[in-house]
Amino acid sequence: MAAKDSPLKQFEIDPISNIELGGYNISFTNSSLAMLITVLVITIFLTITVNTRSIIPSRMQLISELMYNFIAQLLSDTVGDNGKKYFPFVFSLFMFVLIGNMVGMIPYQFTFTSHIIVTFALATVVFVGVTILGFVNHGIKFFSFFYIPGVPFYMHPLLIPIEVISYLSRPISLSVRLFANMLAGHTLLKVFAGFVVSMPFFTGVFPLAFIVALTGLEILIAFLQAYVFAILTCLYINDAYHLH
Amino acid sequence: MNYKNKNLEKLSKKLEDLDIQNENTGKIKKERGASFGFKISTEIIAALVVGVGIGLIVDNYFNTKPFGLIIFFIFGALAGFLNVYRVMRRIEKQR
Repeated sequence: MAAKDSPLKQFEIDPISNIELGGYNISFTNSSLAMLITVLVITIFLTITVNTRSIIPSRMQLISELMYNFIAQLLSDTVGDNGKKYFPFVFSLFMFVLIGNMVGMIPYQFTFTSHIIVTFALATVVFVGVTILGFVNHGIKFFSFFYIPGVPFYMHPLLIPIEVISYLSRPISLSVRLFANMLAGHTLLKVFAGFVVSMPFFTGVFPLAFIVALTGLEILIAFLQAYVFAILTCLYINDAYHLH
Repeated sequence: MNYKNKNLEKLSKKLEDLDIQNENTGKIKKERGASFGFKISTEIIAALVVGVGIGLIVDNYFNTKPFGLIIFFIFGALAGFLNVYRVMRRIEKQR
């Protein structure tokens, strides 16, 4: 199979315009274009639909309000009253991942969430932010997060490193989950799309039918992963408020 | 008047049926196999990656070649199981 037919071809980055600044390559790539489209779609959709501000919402306004309520409910369920401050952060994170995944489901469109560096950057923002939040709320006492009460004292040398590693693994598990789901889903779609062409006679219909079903599943996963990203962010914010 | 009431009765019956349906689908809702397995495996792998990373860094700084890696690999594995335990407890709570 030629390299240009590879199912992984869709994840390649090509620069649309080459820009270099201070020795760093900051080219505008197809990934940046997808992110730009995502941000534009979110901004335009939300501003237009909420613009009417009618008490009895139209269908489109209802969609925006549902999204708003969804995240507001999530925050109040997991964090409580303290969570209201973080609504803008969690909402933009959720919308960016969700619309990014959805834009990626359009054929020929690049999926930026299928690159680990993108998801890892998002997860790092959450991780660093939550750690700072913990120190702001509890000061030096935040370190007691790694200290489990009610355990025999001789167990602590063993348990504290485990807790620290468990804490440090958060951004990795958060980013790998989103990235691997998107990567696996899109690769699978491409592999089965290859079968459609290469199978003899009319048997290509079967993989085609499978692709249709799989596309539905992928849209579900796109939503689910955005939801998981948002809910884990909420849980981490909650941890920064209530140690243990 | 009578006609209107009949229609309303029909509607309320319809709504009740829908409510029952919704409740039933809510009960069936379960964690899907693949995504559940994925959740668990990423937790273990992430903790192992961090453990091995710390082990390699420790070895590099203190010149203790295999021991840092061995010890922190074990810590990482234990942290992975701890993560899985926490995820399971969270899922159990949701039910």
